[in-house]
Amino acid sequence: MADDLAVTPTAWRELLADPRAFVRSRPHLPLIPLVFVAFIALWEWAVRAWEIPPFLVPAPSAVAAALVGGLASQLYVAHFWVTLSEALAGFLIAAVAGVVLGAVIAQFRLVEQTLYPYLVALQTLPKIAIAPLIIVWFGFGITSKVVIAAMVSFFPVLVNVIVGLKTVDQGKLDLMRSLDASRWQTFWMVKFPNALPFVFAGLDVAIVFSVLGAIVGEFVGAQQGLGNLILQFNFTLDIAGVFSVLILLSVLGVSLHLLMQVLQRRLIFWAEPEQVIGA
Amino acid sequence: MGEPLITVTNLDKTYVTRGGSVIRALANLSLAVEAGEFVTIVGQSGCGKTTFLKILAGLLPRTTGQVTVRGRAVDGPSRDIGIVFQDPVLLPWRTVLDNVLLPVQVLRLDRQVYRPRALELLRLVGLTGFEDRYPHELSGGMRQRVAIARALVHDPSLLLMDEPFGALDAMTREHMNLELLRIWREAGKTVLFVTHSIPEAVFLADRVVVLSARPGRIVEIVRVDLPRPRDLDMMATDEFGVYTRKIRHLFDARGWVD
Repeated sequence: MADDLAVTPTAWRELLADPRAFVRSRPHLPLIPLVFVAFIALWEWAVRAWEIPPFLVPAPSAVAAALVGGLASQLYVAHFWVTLSEALAGFLIAAVAGVVLGAVIAQFRLVEQTLYPYLVALQTLPKIAIAPLIIVWFGFGITSKVVIAAMVSFFPVLVNVIVGLKTVDQGKLDLMRSLDASRWQTFWMVKFPNALPFVFAGLDVAIVFSVLGAIVGEFVGAQQGLGNLILQFNFTLDIAGVFSVLILLSVLGVSLHLLMQVLQRRLIFWAEPEQVIGA
Repeated sequence: MGEPLITVTNLDKTYVTRGGSVIRALANLSLAVEAGEFVTIVGQSGCGKTTFLKILAGLLPRTTGQVTVRGRAVDGPSRDIGIVFQDPVLLPWRTVLDNVLLPVQVLRLDRQVYRPRALELLRLVGLTGFEDRYPHELSGGMRQRVAIARALVHDPSLLLMDEPFGALDAMTREHMNLELLRIWREAGKTVLFVTHSIPEAVFLADRVVVLSARPGRIVEIVRVDLPRPRDLDMMATDEFGVYTRKIRHLFDARGWVD
């Protein structure tokens, strides 16, 4: 899945060298847009044929019109930036906090054993349930959404950092010990780089979760953002508007995921993406 | 000959397992290794060979007895020792050159001073031109050669090798044995080499230490007087056969080999 979405340098070279062979070796590539076109056509036809009212299910053409209109009037763009900045700020906080706390927990056994029950309790708590409380504490502005986004995306990072730092093979540790390496040297030269594939798997989940957190925050109480826009459209039964915002959101989600994939390939060239933990 | 480089006197090692039972891994081991010697230790799996090497390296504590390197008691890792493990244990995010320079970095030595030495060692192990490659771009034999260069970069006087070629195919292994003898001759190190292959032990060694099954104790130390430099044809000679047969009989006599 991820391999098909992310364009690797080798894939580019193959495509440029021999486009026909490139497609022939990937028979699903032409099928993907085909399924899309067929689905849209069927949808448009069904809405028209059965005269489904637009406040239940709008036709794809109506959704497209709403999307183009919203983008042209700058209305969507402003809300889009609000949601994006909330999500990214929350993600950054979660990433830094998750990596630092995860490192401390993995390095010091006493810290781990002391904090473990609290971490389990916090992790099993549905973070979204705290969202109304966060609105009360941090207000209707951007801050509360950043906090919720950070809360939701924190645990995938934390768990992956801890697991990553602990899955070092004994051979590498023996090697460092045979050189009489200090705890810090072992951490920076072996444990941390060794954990990076896991850390990135966690960050990949976290960045998508951060958008979820921002939207949930906007649902609970906000004046701006795409989540707020969805609520407004819902109240006025502008379902085409709702659909057009959903399209924006999925574009946002996929872009962030691809961004992480590209970063991961660049930074962790030596490893295959590990399985995701704590998602 | 003077003072031996390594002196092991009445070394005993016992483990306590999780279940609480006591396992004796090494029993009453005594051995002296001269500087510049190539000594191989041969024994079956589980006879305590690796345990013995780890005690020498200061990675495991001994139970009783004395172990000294250069007259100093071993009570922890020493920078005068280089180790080659069963697996190459390279760091995949470092280039070949940076892997070789890892001990230099850990021991806080001057990188600029040791860089030419690392390049020279890579030449010695036949990896010139691969300095900027990453481990996943190398074959198994090449990776193990990087590990050998790494073990030598900080110029230790003692090289400990724990079945370093065990994971390689037979032909690569023979080739690596030849390479190792050449490196040993050029670098002038003392080598302690653990293996479970009798021909490998004889081919490399000045002396072969034959260890019994658990608890590991020295059955016999066989001096190998084959001429040096050695080549692979030597393995087909009668003389070579006499040594391998003798060692095999030591195992057979005790019913350790199926």
